[in-house]
Amino acid sequence: MKLSRRQFIGGTAAAAAGAALFNFNLLTKSVTAADDSLEDLKTFRNVCPRNCYDTCGQISYVQNGILKKVEGDPKHGYTNGKLCLKGYTYTRRVYSPDRVKYPMKQTPRGSGNWTRISWDEAMDTIAKKILELKSRYGSTLPICFNKYSGNFGIVHYGAEGTMSSIGYTTRALGTPCWPAGIDAQTYDFGTLYSNDPEDMVNAKYLILWGQNAAWTAIHSLPFINKARERGAKLVVIDPVLTSTASKADLYIQINSSTDGALALGMARYILDNNWVDWDYARNNSVGFDEWVDYLKTNITLDWASEKTGVPQDIIREIAREYATTKPASMWVGYGMQRHINGGQNVRIIDALGVMTGNVGKSGGGVNYGHLETWGFNYNAMTNPAPKDSKGFIGPDGKEGDRNINMNNFAHDVMAQNDPPVKMLWLACRNPGSQDPDTNAIEKMFAAMEFVVTVDSFFNKTVQMSDIILPATTHFEDWDVMASYWHYWIGINQRAIDPMYESKSDVEIAMLLSEKMNALESGSCTFPTSGTPEEWVAKEFNPGIHSLLGISDYQELIEGPRKAKMTPASWADGKFRTPSKKIEIHSNLAEKNGLPALPVWVEDMKAPEKYPIRFFTPHPQHGLHSQFQNLDWMMTANPEPKVEIHPVLAAKYGISEGDKVKIYNDLGSIIIKAHLTRTTSPEVIVSYEAWYKDSNFNVNYTLKATPSDMGKQATGNDGVAFHDNFVMIEKA
Amino acid sequence: MTKQLGFLHNSEKCVGCQGCEMACKNEYQTDATPRWRQVFQLREEDYSLPTRMFFSMACNHCANPECLRVCPVKAYTKREDGIVVHDHDRCIGCRLCLMACPYDRPQFNLDKKKVEKCNLCYQRIDKGEKPACVAACIPEALQLVEINDALDQKMGVLKTIPGLPGPDITHPAIRFIGPKQGKQIRRD
Repeated sequence: MKLSRRQFIGGTAAAAAGAALFNFNLLTKSVTAADDSLEDLKTFRNVCPRNCYDTCGQISYVQNGILKKVEGDPKHGYTNGKLCLKGYTYTRRVYSPDRVKYPMKQTPRGSGNWTRISWDEAMDTIAKKILELKSRYGSTLPICFNKYSGNFGIVHYGAEGTMSSIGYTTRALGTPCWPAGIDAQTYDFGTLYSNDPEDMVNAKYLILWGQNAAWTAIHSLPFINKARERGAKLVVIDPVLTSTASKADLYIQINSSTDGALALGMARYILDNNWVDWDYARNNSVGFDEWVDYLKTNITLDWASEKTGVPQDIIREIAREYATTKPASMWVGYGMQRHINGGQNVRIIDALGVMTGNVGKSGGGVNYGHLETWGFNYNAMTNPAPKDSKGFIGPDGKEGDRNINMNNFAHDVMAQNDPPVKMLWLACRNPGSQDPDTNAIEKMFAAMEFVVTVDSFFNKTVQMSDIILPATTHFEDWDVMASYWHYWIGINQRAIDPMYESKSDVEIAMLLSEKMNALESGSCTFPTSGTPEEWVAKEFNPGIHSLLGISDYQELIEGPRKAKMTPASWADGKFRTPSKKIEIHSNLAEKNGLPALPVWVEDMKAPEKYPIRFFTPHPQHGLHSQFQNLDWMMTANPEPKVEIHPVLAAKYGISEGDKVKIYNDLGSIIIKAHLTRTTSPEVIVSYEAWYKDSNFNVNYTLKATPSDMGKQATGNDGVAFHDNFVMIEKA
Repeated sequence: MTKQLGFLHNSEKCVGCQGCEMACKNEYQTDATPRWRQVFQLREEDYSLPTRMFFSMACNHCANPECLRVCPVKAYTKREDGIVVHDHDRCIGCRLCLMACPYDRPQFNLDKKKVEKCNLCYQRIDKGEKPACVAACIPEALQLVEINDALDQKMGVLKTIPGLPGPDITHPAIRFIGPKQGKQIRRD
């Protein structure tokens, strides 16, 4: 079947809202011939914009305006022409019949009674509400904005720009994902700055610490495997025997949240055997000897073994190997810092890297992530507030936005009184399924006067909104993407026209600005013109050009570029701390109420009533609430399960396939049991995700408990997602 | 037949990521439910230690294809290179092949009321390219190989793995390298 783009659009426009407008048959090739027609086949460069280590270079194949398939970009040196399973499902996202196609309103909110409205009506309703709130409260502070990681494209910061341009607003500040570890590395090194992951090939010893690359950074595996072919040993430390851990030479099932104790035990043994790189540690850090004293006085292998559940001979083995097999690389995953002592545990692991001289070395590093390649203009986000805007007077006396904690969002929204929060604007964000304490989130949404969400699917947050604005996918937009793991930057071209009536965050901002200024001149400063490509062009600057060795963004259309940086972070020894050295003793940490040294901080103990730890890590078939709802994914992974150790299952009379109620004081969920010895008897595991036609959500039992760090660099502490304690019973 | 092409799957390298499965769907834009290629998890209890172990299987392009033998409309043909091709146009959707295949690899498409399956990307192979699944495999666990004695004599190459029907029925053109298990410090 062949349909021109024009016929296709005509067909869709004629159909009623809500119907399944797109027939996937448009995509299906003759079953026996993969490439029966290559006629008019065009290719474009794209970059997967998800919140993912890998940020893959993609090539989109477009015929007659239709995205036919998506492949990896062979010019991308880290992702190397291959995609993960999620990346190969993109046609199903773009053409999903479940996509939000038009602006729609829901009356009443939560009823599922959606009506298609025009963009003009949507903007008129939203603009009038903003102006009414502003007139009622004398400022735009009753409007609260929450955006995070649904699309990390730089132009998407236009969503923040939308808010800046209407005045000072209430903002959800922080990052749920990784702030404790960021702060740990900020206290120690001045910022987070990991080695080039491609440099892992040079490691002679590798420790993946709470990191499941097979699911979350699969393009790193070839580099790890290369190192192993050259003789490197792979050690994986994780409470869960993940797919990555299953490949390790040595897998250590550590007690959750005791990673710092293991690192301290290793450090003590390294000290006792004088495998310390005294020159490196003393020349490059402050407070090292003070920490050595702490190790001598407070740490024994007995204690470390008792705490971690790791036998002493194993602690000795990995300590000796890590300290004497150089260079040795450590990759600290984000899961291990989602605890009340998570940041501190990262600081201890950092110190272990420093004491062995593995920091600043090719093939080494204590690798967590980096933001070295993110130096764009953020032009779409930097709009001045309209004249005479009233803001929130911060502790520094400056007037501006009112920041609330993204990681205690429900509570903080409800806690605002002067003025209260009355309206939410959500973009690239799904707190309805991703935030802790879902019951509290639901209550908070219900208390709002007005909720606007920009998204591509009718997810849980959209279900709690008054107006949904249809978002484009990255194939329908221009953008530019950097990674927080690899060193590559790629341009994202518009490969197909926006589907239905979808728009990007910047296009929405321009429309809103037009409408607001028509209603009240000067009420919005967002520009009202600019093509998508012009918007992306405005993000580049001489710094980015020189980092990539280009003179114009258009050179990226020829292929992604790798930043010109040394393969080893901190190779120059110029640390970005106040002392310009690694701060084993951090005055800044102390000032913030934390231990100055990387010393042991107790983990959270299970309460008597809820003795089982409930882990809800990142899924294989999705990225947070994205992908799992697509039809191909629902075939590959039709339903959620909870992994339970057979010993624990037997204790509660649970068999394979039984429905299990998981509960605590906050709430409960019911999930089907899968019995497996890949987890330990104290820990049950279910992977967070949003399944199609399902209310599955792992966050009903999760308290918004802060992790120990995050405030310094990201504004707020993280969430101790993995300090989630429950009871189970057969449902 | 001049040779027999087939797959060599290495469970030591495979992480069960299902990239092969989705790359296949992406290449052919198949409907939602048919799984021309599918990743299966090996049972923990079949090995000395519990780990996450996998193998990936599409049509096995058997030397003695039962699907071909039972098909009443001759929708199946076997090429000179051993690839078993299913002709979607000839297929009447009788599903005899589904019953005949020991590996459940012919897939019945409920919407189209016909069978479909992996044709080993013969068009790509004819152009000198790798099958889509093989090209997409990040840990390089899946390979296109010629099935012959030389391969079968290599150390570690297995004709079957636990949980699969015996290979004597159809002589499938798939070989395996079994999972390797490291040392584990466990808490149970």
